[in-house]
Amino acid sequence: MADFDFTSAPVKSRQSLLKAGVRIDMTPMVDVIMLLLTFFMLTTTLANQQVMKINLPKGDESVPVNMGNVLTVRVSEKGNTFFSFGKENGSESLPEKIRSNEIGSRLAKLSAANSDLLLILKFDRNMKYRTMVDMLDEINNSIPEKSRRFSIKKMESTDVEIIKKAGD
Amino acid sequence: MGKSRSIKKPGVKIDMTPLVDVIMLLLTFFMLTATFKAEMSENIEVKLPKSLNVDTTKLPEKDVMTLTLTKAGDIYVDVDNFKVRKEVFGDEFGIGVYHPDSTGKSEVETTQKIGGKDVKRKVIVLNREKFEKTLGDLRVALKNMTQNKSDYKIVLKGDKDVDFGVVEDLMQSLKDTRNTRFSLVTDIDAGEPGKK
Repeated sequence: MADFDFTSAPVKSRQSLLKAGVRIDMTPMVDVIMLLLTFFMLTTTLANQQVMKINLPKGDESVPVNMGNVLTVRVSEKGNTFFSFGKENGSESLPEKIRSNEIGSRLAKLSAANSDLLLILKFDRNMKYRTMVDMLDEINNSIPEKSRRFSIKKMESTDVEIIKKAGD
Repeated sequence: MGKSRSIKKPGVKIDMTPLVDVIMLLLTFFMLTATFKAEMSENIEVKLPKSLNVDTTKLPEKDVMTLTLTKAGDIYVDVDNFKVRKEVFGDEFGIGVYHPDSTGKSEVETTQKIGGKDVKRKVIVLNREKFEKTLGDLRVALKNMTQNKSDYKIVLKGDKDVDFGVVEDLMQSLKDTRNTRFSLVTDIDAGEPGKK
């Protein structure tokens, strides 16, 4: 009888242990988790920044280029884009106004036709920085990295004249 | 029976209070250090332009030289290393400002504010010559400290509404100091290109 009592007692106490064990007050833990969550939510907002790599040609290097491969892209103060195609003899064609939604497809076509395409970008000083990023974005998205070559040149007053004539 | 229950009952009631206390302390610590760092390095607010770039390169985590272009046309040069800042700017929270438009003055000089907010950092005003020298000095300081192991990655954080002229002047300075590799920081755009 004593043995009987001895074996039955631990079973009951184990049951009571399990019963008591499940009564954990979760409130403080939840509070902390909520705080952590708020903290991480507030600090991770800056994580979606990305970068666009630019590699400008070194200033003192003069690389002879075939003018036939050159495409001069001029962007006016208003944000209008003009393409001028270079010719073998060093001159260039009259600028052609390109609609903003066609820039990407035009560049993709030109690059596919001529893998040696070299872009010379001329941006107006009074233009917004956003316009330049948009243009570089178009170039990055439409021309494969292997044949992507461009340089940024200063826009002279003659360039402004040229695009004014072309209907800026 | 009654005795064994009364012994085991207090044992299973795990007291969460010390654990919660420690977690709260840790949390407070992290929160304070995080806001502290953010306050110091993210002081200058710019509205970044959006880009839809296929090769998504993330912003590098360390050894970054940030050139921030504000709407007012000022260029702020900052690095992420306290020691380098201390050596070049003479203050652990020093930051350089350069206003390329020589006809005017930078926002900090005229209003003592950056982007309409109070400045918590020591601002060193630079002219073009000093600015270009600073770019080199920062590089040299980092190289000396790390035995030529690290080099700065230059990132350009421009406000989307800043005039291109400022960017052009900055690029000219970068070119003159032979820093021809740099990155532009942008926000990811989920939309179609050309429709911004």
